[in-house]
Amino acid sequence: MTPEKIDQLFDYVQERCLWQFFSRAWDREENIDGILKAAAALLTGQPPALDTPMDRLFYADAKVMVSDLRERFPWIEDSGAAQIRDLLHGLKDKLTEFTITKSLNHELNHTLY
Amino acid sequence: MGCEVTTRERAGIINPMYDCQPAGAQYAGIGVKDCIPLVHGGQGCTMFVRLLFAQHFKENFDIASTSLHEDSAVFGGHQRIEDGVLTLVRRYPELRVIPIITTCSTEVIGDDVEGTITRCNKAIKAEFPDRKVHVVPVHTPSFKSSQVGGYSECLLSLVKSLATHKAAPSGKLNLFPGWVNPGDVTLLKHYLREMGVEGTVFMDTEDFDSPMLPDKTIHTHGRTTVEDLQGSANAVASLALARYEGASSAQYLQTEFEVPAHIVSTPYGIANTDAMLQKISEITGKPIPESLIRERGVAIDALQDLAHMFFADKRVALFGHPDLVIGLAEFCMEVELKPVLLLLGDDNSRYKKDPRLLALKSKVDWDMEVVCNADLWELEKRVKAPDTRIDMILGHSKGRYVAIDANIPMTRVGFPTFDRAGLYRHPTMGYRGAMLLGEAIANSLFTHMEYTRNREWILNTW
Amino acid sequence: MPMVLLECDKDIPEREKHIYLKVDGEDSRDYLPVANASTIPGTLSERGCAFCGAKLVIGGVLKDTIQMIHGPIGCAYDTWHTKRYPSDNGHFQMKYVWSTDMKESHIVFGGEKRLEKSMHEAFDEMPEIKRMIVYTTCPTALIGDDIKAVAKKVMEARPDVDVFTCECPGFAGVSQSKGHHVLNIGWVNEKVGNIEPEITAKHTMNFIGDYNIQGDTQLLQQYWDKLGIQVIAHFTGNANYDDLRAMHRAQLNVVNCARSAGYIANELKKKYGIPRLDIDSWGFNYMAEGIRKISAFFGIEDKGEALIAEEYAKWKPKLDWYKERLKGTKMAIWTGGPRLWHWTKSVEDDLGVQVVAMSSKFGHQEDFEKVIARGQAGTYYIDDGNELEFFEIIDLVKPDVIFTGPRVGELVKKLHIPYVNGHAYHNGPYMGFEGFVNLARDMYNAIYNPLLKLAATDPRATLSTPAKEAAE
Repeated sequence: MTPEKIDQLFDYVQERCLWQFFSRAWDREENIDGILKAAAALLTGQPPALDTPMDRLFYADAKVMVSDLRERFPWIEDSGAAQIRDLLHGLKDKLTEFTITKSLNHELNHTLY
Repeated sequence: MGCEVTTRERAGIINPMYDCQPAGAQYAGIGVKDCIPLVHGGQGCTMFVRLLFAQHFKENFDIASTSLHEDSAVFGGHQRIEDGVLTLVRRYPELRVIPIITTCSTEVIGDDVEGTITRCNKAIKAEFPDRKVHVVPVHTPSFKSSQVGGYSECLLSLVKSLATHKAAPSGKLNLFPGWVNPGDVTLLKHYLREMGVEGTVFMDTEDFDSPMLPDKTIHTHGRTTVEDLQGSANAVASLALARYEGASSAQYLQTEFEVPAHIVSTPYGIANTDAMLQKISEITGKPIPESLIRERGVAIDALQDLAHMFFADKRVALFGHPDLVIGLAEFCMEVELKPVLLLLGDDNSRYKKDPRLLALKSKVDWDMEVVCNADLWELEKRVKAPDTRIDMILGHSKGRYVAIDANIPMTRVGFPTFDRAGLYRHPTMGYRGAMLLGEAIANSLFTHMEYTRNREWILNTW
Repeated sequence: MPMVLLECDKDIPEREKHIYLKVDGEDSRDYLPVANASTIPGTLSERGCAFCGAKLVIGGVLKDTIQMIHGPIGCAYDTWHTKRYPSDNGHFQMKYVWSTDMKESHIVFGGEKRLEKSMHEAFDEMPEIKRMIVYTTCPTALIGDDIKAVAKKVMEARPDVDVFTCECPGFAGVSQSKGHHVLNIGWVNEKVGNIEPEITAKHTMNFIGDYNIQGDTQLLQQYWDKLGIQVIAHFTGNANYDDLRAMHRAQLNVVNCARSAGYIANELKKKYGIPRLDIDSWGFNYMAEGIRKISAFFGIEDKGEALIAEEYAKWKPKLDWYKERLKGTKMAIWTGGPRLWHWTKSVEDDLGVQVVAMSSKFGHQEDFEKVIARGQAGTYYIDDGNELEFFEIIDLVKPDVIFTGPRVGELVKKLHIPYVNGHAYHNGPYMGFEGFVNLARDMYNAIYNPLLKLAATDPRATLSTPAKEAAE
C-alpha cells in the first residue's frame, strides 16, 4: 500500500515541480530536503519554519504542493503523522535516487555553476 | 552646387548597411542547383544568414556549417571540413556542389582549405565511385570587403572551379546580373526570350519564389546547374550587369577562355535598360523586338503620369548595394526625382571612381552627397539635421526606423526587404522594374500625404 | 529501443544518443538524451553561436545600453532585426547595433585602438547613453585583443560611463548556451552589487530569464504591481543596465528561463543568500501556481488569490473557447530548449493539445529531465535536431502545428503544416493569462487557416471528365 502511495506522490512531483531539477546535485538535495520538511510540517499540522528567506522559499513551494496533494489524493487527510513522515521519507528516497544518485545528467556534479 | 564624395570618418559602425563576405558568398551558393554551401566557421555565421534569407524570401534555404568549436581554434578546423563534406555527401544523394565558404575565424586560424578539399575528393571517390561532387574553395574572410564582395567572390570561385576547359562554342550568352531578386531574373530571361537569344543567368534564382503544391514537394532552390557553370567557358560573350557583383567572373572568362566580357550600366531605369538591350543586340546581332519597345512605352507612359506632377524636386536619399544605388540614382533623374544623398556601404575604393558616379557628378545642378563606406547612422544623422530636407528614402528594410522615426516616406528596394510583402517577386531592373518602382514610390508618397494630411486633397481628382 | 536511430541518420549513428522516444514505464534513470554536445559538421543543425547567446538573447535586450561588437561587420548585422523585444522607451535596443568593423589590418596589427576609438565615438554620437557592453567575436578573440583593458581605459577617460565586457566568441562552447553562461557569470561577478537601488516597497524581487518578447515582461509587470512587489531587476526584459547592478538587494529571485539565466540566480543565492524560485510563466495553471508561490513567500496570499480570481474571470472563458476547438490538436515544439518543458504540459492541461515531438537547440540534460518528466509517452524528445530528422519526425508523428522559428516555419509550410513563431511569437505576448489566450488564438488561427485545405487540393482532380480530357 505505502509504495503505491509513494509512487503517486512521486509522479506528482516529477510532473509538477521544477525544484527537483535544479542544475546541481547540492541544489537538488537542498530543495528536496527543505521542501519535504516544510511539507511534512504542513501535512501534520505543525507550524512550518519561516525564519530565513530559504525557509520561506521552501514553505512557498511546499504550500502549493500540499494543497495539490490534498486535492488529488484524498487519502492523505486520513493518514496519521507517523504515516505522513514515512510517506515523505519514501518520497525523498525516491526523488534522491531519480534526480541525483541515478540521474544520467552529466552536469550535476560540476563544481561551478 | 555639385556632388561631393565623402567617406565615413568614424572608425566604428552604427547600423551597418551590409552583412559580411560569407553572407554574400552564401547567397551566391544557394543559386546553384543540387548545392549545399558548407560554411567553415562558427554556427552563427550560417544560422543568421539562413534566417536573413528566410526573412527576405519567406523561404528556407539549405546551408550547412562546420560548427567550429574551441578545439578547432587551437588545433585547426580542417577535420571538420572533411567530416562536414562527407556527412553532406552521404545524407544528400543528389548533391553535386559544395562550396566551402571560409569566415574570419577560419581564415585567422589559417586552415588549409585547398589541401583539405583534395583529401575530401579522394574520400568521396573511394566511397562513391559513381558520383562527382564538386567541392569548391571560397575564401571570404569577414574582415575584408562585405556581402557585396562575398557574392562576387563565391561566383568567381564557382566559375573557376567548374569552368575548367573550353569546349564547342554554345552560342549562348552569359548574363551576370549580380545580387538581384527572382523577379529580376524572370524579367531578364523574358528579355532574352523576346530577343531570341539563348543565354544563361548566373545565378538563376527564379525558384526562390516557390509554390505550396498539392503533392507537398519542395522546389526552393537555385536553378543554375553544374553544366551551366561548366558551359560558361563556351559562351559567345558575357554580359555583366553589376560592376561589383559578378563582373570579375566575366573578366575571368575573358582572360582564361577568350569569352568577350561586356560590363554595362546596371539596367535600372529606362536608359540603362536601353543600353543593355542595345548591347545584347550588338553582341548577338538580334534586333530589339517590337514587344520590348511596347513594354518600354508602357513604362514611360506610366512614369510620365508621375514625374512632373509628383516627383519633381522631391529630394531622395538612397542606400544599398553600390550597383543598385548608383543605378537607382540614374533612374531618379529620369523621372525628375532629385537624388541628394547616396550611401555606399563598404570600404571598396573603386566606388569613388565609378564612371557612372562621375557622370552623375557632372550632371547634377543641385547639392548631392555620396558617402562611401557609410553606415545607416550617416543617413540618420543627415535626416535628423535641421537644415536637411529628405522627401523620400529608397533602401532596404534595415533602414526602416530612420524613416519611421523621422516620419519620412520610404520605398523598400534592394536586399533585404523583409518588412514588405512579396517584393522579391517583382523586378526592379528593366522597363517593368522602373515602372513598378516608380509606382511604389508614388504610392508611398500618396499614403504619406494622407497620413500627414499634406495636400491629400490633390488626389481627390487625380 | 527508446533511443532512436532515424533512417536519415544511418550515416551518423551517434545521433541515436540524442533522440529519445518515451515509452510508458521507463524513466530518466534509464534513458536521457545526450545534450549540450558538439554538433556533427554538415548536419544542417539549427544552432547558433555563443556570441549570439550573449548579445542577441540577453545583453542586447537592455534598453539603455550600447552593444559594441568588436569584430567584423557580420556579427553586428546578423544580431540586429532578428528579435521582437520592445521596450517602453521607444525600442532603442531594437533600432541600433554597433560594430568596430574590423578589417584585415586590424586583424594583423591588433584591434584594441580601433575598439577604443569606436567606443568613444559611440558615446559621442549618442551623448544621452552612458552604458555599454563590449563583446568579443571569433577573430578578435583569436588575435587576443584585451577588451577589458580597453574598457577600463575608456571608463577612466569618461567617469560618467560604465562598460561591461563579454568575452564570448562564436566558437566558444557548442551553442548559444555558452554565451548565456558567460554573460551571467561575468555580470554577477563584475557588476552586481555596485549600485544601491531605491527600495520603494516592502517586498522586492528580481524576475530572471524573461526577455520581454512581444511585451511579456510588461504584461507580467501588471501582476507584480497589483501584488505590490517591487521588481528591482528584470533579467533582462525592458531593463536598464543599472537595474541589473542592483540585483543583490532583492529578497527573492523568480526564475522563468532557467536555461539562459539559472546561473545568475544560483550565484545570487550563493553570494547573497537570495532564494531562487523557479516558475513557469506560460499557461493558466502554471501562472496561477507561480503567483501562489510568490505570494506565499511574501505572506500576501490574499492578494495573490484575488489577482488569480480576477484574471481567471477575465480570461478563462476566452481560453475555454479555444480549448473546445483545439482539443486533440497535435503540436510539435522545435525551439531553444526551455519552452519544451514550459509548454508541453501547459498546452495539454489548458488547451487539450498533445505535444508529439520536441526538439531543443541548446538545452542541457537538465532540460531533458524536465521535459521527459512532464511530457507524454509516444513523444519524441530530440537534442539538436537537424533538417532531415525533422522531415522524418514529421512523417512519424504528423503534427497539426509546429511552434518553431520563421525559417523552419517556411520549410514546413511546403508540407502544409502551419507554424507559429515559437521564439518571437506571432501576435504575443504569450506569458501570463492574457498571453496564453493569445497563444491559443494564434494556434487556432494557424490550424483553421482555410488556405491549408486549398493547398492540399488539386483542382485537376475535381474537373468534370471532358475538361479533364482536354487538360490532358
